[in-house]
Amino acid sequence: MLWWRRLQLRIRSLTERDRLERELDQELVFHLAEQKADYERQAMTAAEAEFRARREFGALGSLAEQCRDQRHTRWIEDLLTDARFAIRGLRQSPGFTWAAVATIALGLGANLALFSTAYRVLFRPLPYADPDQLLEIAGPIAGVGPATVLRQMAKQVEWAGYLPNVERNAQLGGGALRLRTAAATWNLAGVLGVQPAMGRWFEEREESAGRHRVAVISQRMWRERFSSDPGVLGRRILLDEEPYEIIGVMPAWFTFPAAGTELWVPIRYDPADISYLWGSYNLLPIGRLSNGGSMEAAQAELSGLIQRIRPMFPWRMPDQWGVGAALVRHQTALVSNARPKLIALAAASLFLLIIACGNVSNLLLARWIRREREFATREALGAGRGRLLRQLVTENLVLAGVGGVAGIAVALGLLPVLPGLVPDLPRLDGLALEPRAAVLVLFAMGMTFGVLSLVPMFRTFLLGARSVSTARMTLSRRPARVSLSLAGFQLALATALLIGAGLMARTLWRLDNVDSGIRAPGVLTATVSAGPSRCATAARCRAFVEDLTATLGGVAGVQSVNWSNGTPLVKRQSAMSVAVQDHPRPPGAPAFVLWHLTATPGYFPALGIPLRSGRLFTESDTARALPVAIISESTAQRFWPDGSAIGKTIRPVSGKVWRTVVGVVADVAHYSLAGFPSWVDGVQYVPLNQSMPGSGNVVQLSIFLQGAVTAGVLEGALRKSFPDVVLSGLAPLQRVRRESVADRRSTMWLLSGLASMGLLLGSVGVYGILTQRFAQRTREIGIRLALGATTGSVAVTVLREALVVAAMGSVVGISAAIVLTRYLRSLLFGVAEHDLAAFLAGPVVLIVTALLAAALPGLRAARVDPATVLRAE
Amino acid sequence: MGKPSDLLQGTLDLLILKTISLEPVHGWAIAKRIQQVSNEVLLVQQGSLYPALYRLENQGWIQSETRETESGRVAKFYSLTREGRKQLAKELGQWERLSSAVGLVVKQA
Repeated sequence: MLWWRRLQLRIRSLTERDRLERELDQELVFHLAEQKADYERQAMTAAEAEFRARREFGALGSLAEQCRDQRHTRWIEDLLTDARFAIRGLRQSPGFTWAAVATIALGLGANLALFSTAYRVLFRPLPYADPDQLLEIAGPIAGVGPATVLRQMAKQVEWAGYLPNVERNAQLGGGALRLRTAAATWNLAGVLGVQPAMGRWFEEREESAGRHRVAVISQRMWRERFSSDPGVLGRRILLDEEPYEIIGVMPAWFTFPAAGTELWVPIRYDPADISYLWGSYNLLPIGRLSNGGSMEAAQAELSGLIQRIRPMFPWRMPDQWGVGAALVRHQTALVSNARPKLIALAAASLFLLIIACGNVSNLLLARWIRREREFATREALGAGRGRLLRQLVTENLVLAGVGGVAGIAVALGLLPVLPGLVPDLPRLDGLALEPRAAVLVLFAMGMTFGVLSLVPMFRTFLLGARSVSTARMTLSRRPARVSLSLAGFQLALATALLIGAGLMARTLWRLDNVDSGIRAPGVLTATVSAGPSRCATAARCRAFVEDLTATLGGVAGVQSVNWSNGTPLVKRQSAMSVAVQDHPRPPGAPAFVLWHLTATPGYFPALGIPLRSGRLFTESDTARALPVAIISESTAQRFWPDGSAIGKTIRPVSGKVWRTVVGVVADVAHYSLAGFPSWVDGVQYVPLNQSMPGSGNVVQLSIFLQGAVTAGVLEGALRKSFPDVVLSGLAPLQRVRRESVADRRSTMWLLSGLASMGLLLGSVGVYGILTQRFAQRTREIGIRLALGATTGSVAVTVLREALVVAAMGSVVGISAAIVLTRYLRSLLFGVAEHDLAAFLAGPVVLIVTALLAAALPGLRAARVDPATVLRAE
Repeated sequence: MGKPSDLLQGTLDLLILKTISLEPVHGWAIAKRIQQVSNEVLLVQQGSLYPALYRLENQGWIQSETRETESGRVAKFYSLTREGRKQLAKELGQWERLSSAVGLVVKQA
């Protein structure tokens, strides 16, 4: 227990330092007094006794110091002294301290936030058991049929299937609302390895059609729509007019397949329904690798199974179907779109951090050079070099510590804002500071600091104080070169950031100037949905749409009402495989795929889509009339380049009715501003009246309203006669367009923000260095002026230095950007990865800014009065 | 403040431990007692005494308490801890072995 006692003593030495000091003093004074008394007893006079006792005793202070040393806590006390000293020093130069702390805080905070986000989105393991075993298929293997075959025949992987993003109308206590739901095979919970928090998941028998229907709801839905009612199990909910029994509540973290999914139902499996089995239901497979199975074996099995699935389709599938379908980890697939963006942003913020560290290093270096004489004096007075160095390091540590705490505060402030800045990223729930990201960022910061500040300091330090006496005259070239190349490095990184931001700005400019083919200022769009009873037959459906049109058209402010099955630029798929006249396909070749849209006669004028030839739809294009279609200009070009499109016919692969092309309209960007997916061969429009959802399908239509009206007014109009109809997402078409490029926009703004901060910090760095160089060279400039140099030539000297640094930085930055812009490739549109304009504009902005930053020191140099300078010598 | 050359390295610790082994003693009295008992041969300088006392205290062998002396002044009295007693026994043993060994060599020669 001796160590314990010793530890206690050490702690006491630190905590009760004052008391111990007093005791030590008292003890020594007591000793002195006793000795004196002793001498007096030996018949000395009081004065003599005092003198002799003191002489024997020696220097009190030195003795006390020796006693103190015995406590072995000296180094801690030194550290505290250093820290106190450092804080005092930093407070004496508040400008420097503020600049350094703010720079560190911004750089560190931005990086902590972005790296935490990147880690949590890209690498944080999914919350399922053994998430690495979860697999998806990259490729077009989807559908109830293929998924069912995989489920039944695969041995290496247990496959389940899910239909993501099924929007359904739910009726809950009166009001109708739109819910985001997913349908899934019963074994999905088993494959994912999850259990409901309450109740149970589906069972196998509940997949069959005809059984009573069950649903599992999300924690959020339970909380918000059922007020956390513990008796929710067994309650009924109407989904598209069919009653479902709630049998389970999922845990709060369960957001499969996407955030915002509120309800899961089993797929309804009817082996007799060919269109359900092999049609357009995109049931996506997700599987779990069997225990001990390997990816290679699973991949081989998948390739084999695809060969067996292809001939099972009731119609001939292209020979290329499913070739090259590859297994990917679920996590990889989930974030594949977000990856390049996050990597680009993380790299950009790392650049910013390095620029920030460079700035702080420069500040430190400048400060240190200013204090070189102070240190030389202190060294001459006996301070050890190690001790001085330790004090410098302590000062940097204090600075880094304060900056670090401020940086964490900045990061904590940024994290809640980030999901709003990058709303298109997946897995943004529960963002928090990530310790791993923090370690990485601190490591990067430490490395940068270490290299950029300690190395030159050590060098100057070890080169020694001998040059100090001459330091007044000229500064040795080395630190100057060090700080200038440091500034060049910062400018290089800023250049790379500027080029990246420039590429994104050009992309966005291009996207904003894409002619979407729609000229419809003031057109509002919304999704209107209703239960299947409204469209039990095509005739009822038609009447329903007519009634809705009349009701909504009667609302004050609405000038026209038109319908289609889709809204442009929301990326909802609406494709149809067709046979095209004059273009027979050989057996085994894929069919042509057309983007399939329904439209009312007023649709084209309302959206400002001009007619190129033929005619538009009219009210007489009814179900009983000749089936007709309108195609887009480029579709006509693609199939009938000689201009003979009118009168040709098109037929769905799965249907028998040939539609006659009656008109050709201008091209419209229906899928995205960047164009259609490569597998789309063209666009066809058919009259809504000839393509009503029938046979008890759920109604979902896009409405287009000319006029000015609010969602509340429209909903109010619907409530009276159509309480079961849900109108959702009312927005101007322009906003839909803007939001379709939100991911690029957010990337551009974030990159631009980082780039401008980089530019700002970089030019502050240049300004600082040049100002400091100027201060050191005032005398030289004075002499030059005295010897006949013109003020202009002196200013040019300063500017030239800035120009050289900026130009070299630009060259390095351009080289870095050439390598790095590949990470932006997937985000670019209409701009080459090595776009000349961006690669020129970045450096130009940088050089101009650097010259502006240099202008002030340059002007000051020109205004130096040689007489004053020389007199000061 | 050099250490007394006539005191073997490490011996001072032994002398202090021994001196305070009977009763708590304050610093000045420790020096005085060593001086008296050794017939004025061993002079313990303050410069050695106090650092030694602080060292011993920090090693946990002796402890101190502040109380009044007979003359009515406040002083720090040192006494042995349990570990200190063990240490004293150990050092005494070492000292006896060393001094008898030295004695043997000296007589032989």
